[in-house]
Amino acid sequence: MIRIRKKYLFYTLGITSAIIAAAGTTTDTYASIYIKNPWALCFSIFLVGLVITFLLTAILSIPVNGKTIGSTIDPSFRGMRLIKKEELKYQAIAGFANAVTTLAYFYVIWSYNNPFTPATILAFSQVVIIYLLAIESITEKNAPTLAEVQSAIIVSFGAMLASISLKGGINARGIAVVFLVLNPSWALFSIYQRKLKLLRFDGCYNDAINIRLWNIVFTTFFTFVAILLMGYFMHENLLQESLNTLSYWHLLAISMTIAFFSYVFYIRALGLGKASVTQAVKSSNIIFSIPFSFWLASIVGGSLFESPLHALIKIMGMILVILGVISFALTEVRGYIFINAKSGYRAKDLIEEIWKIKGVTSIAAVAGSYDIIAKVRIRSLGKGYERIVRVLEGINGIASFKWHSILKEWEEI
Amino acid sequence: MIKAYILILTYVGNLKSVLNELKNLENIESIAVIAGDYDIIVKARVNSLEELMELTDKIHAIKGVKRTNTQVVEKEIEA
Repeated sequence: MIRIRKKYLFYTLGITSAIIAAAGTTTDTYASIYIKNPWALCFSIFLVGLVITFLLTAILSIPVNGKTIGSTIDPSFRGMRLIKKEELKYQAIAGFANAVTTLAYFYVIWSYNNPFTPATILAFSQVVIIYLLAIESITEKNAPTLAEVQSAIIVSFGAMLASISLKGGINARGIAVVFLVLNPSWALFSIYQRKLKLLRFDGCYNDAINIRLWNIVFTTFFTFVAILLMGYFMHENLLQESLNTLSYWHLLAISMTIAFFSYVFYIRALGLGKASVTQAVKSSNIIFSIPFSFWLASIVGGSLFESPLHALIKIMGMILVILGVISFALTEVRGYIFINAKSGYRAKDLIEEIWKIKGVTSIAAVAGSYDIIAKVRIRSLGKGYERIVRVLEGINGIASFKWHSILKEWEEI
Repeated sequence: MIKAYILILTYVGNLKSVLNELKNLENIESIAVIAGDYDIIVKARVNSLEELMELTDKIHAIKGVKRTNTQVVEKEIEA
């Protein structure tokens, strides 16, 4: 049964994830006031996260009326399960990337010795959307369109402006860590979570809850190894310090519970849209974090805006994020092309040739009044003529074809 | 697993009610309203040709459907 349009669900999931993530960032900031050693915080947060994620997955696995509770947040969820062989490689890479991302993030915080000033440098981590775009234009068949590139740049810069701080300094080492370690590993993490979500077992898509559970298992393992290695080189017993910080387990537990739900929605959204677009939609958490930041500021003191200029820059950034996300949702043309082949040409060769055309998202050789049905997705009808119709006219085996633009579409998810 | 495209032509004025009925059917992967020779294209996923026949029968039973044209997928490449 088809209940909701894919596009609506994608934006609903992305924005829900962003709202929850905004609450999570606030909890993390609050925790970092009490836990001074960032490396210890990094490991202990995953350790508590492992227990919390396991418990949450177990609760979500309880069946009610023949379905698990978790199926309300991801219909593909059938209950907690062991990792599957096909997932192993992807989970290992995603776990490693998540560990590197978190460590790099805490390194930037640590190198400033104060949890509030790194905002200047961490704002550059929003540029990860552009990294994802670059990777997708090389690896994905469904390469980003010009409108998507424009919207992504608007969102990235908007998110950067909205999260920037005017107080902190910028140093070369911090910038290098953000651009060479944090952003690439974050991009890798998103891409592999998407690959995991798109895996199918017995015709059903993988579920976001088990993906998150196993990601935490791998991330905790890689963080553990990193803490051991760093402790050895820094001549510090980081493991002991991590265990000491567990006295703040309730703060960490709240943070990881929030992160769990934020990631489950994010992973579901990744299954529906490209990693770059999903990440861009999630950037809207910068806007949702404002009420939480006000609340935090009223508890621990301090102000949301450093100066009127800072407020102006932040507001401009937020407007750009909203504009960018809206323009993502509005620029796309899709259509079906029904093709008849000339006799004497093999359908297999023809579909392979048509598949090479940029913008063709699926192609099927069919039995019926047509021979081939192709689905296309492009930025404008004009591009459809230049990129697709003109190419089809040049293919020898095609006798005739008919273009049918899609006016509205519903997809099962 | 058998996949098929079912192209549907409706009587003028019935598009919306046909779409609402289609959304309640099982075994449907996607529904698109298109501009051209047909009004709706449905992508179906069934376990057997028998099930496909049942599905097309259900579509024929919807008030407002003028004609359908079923194309069974032999080979498919997806992004």
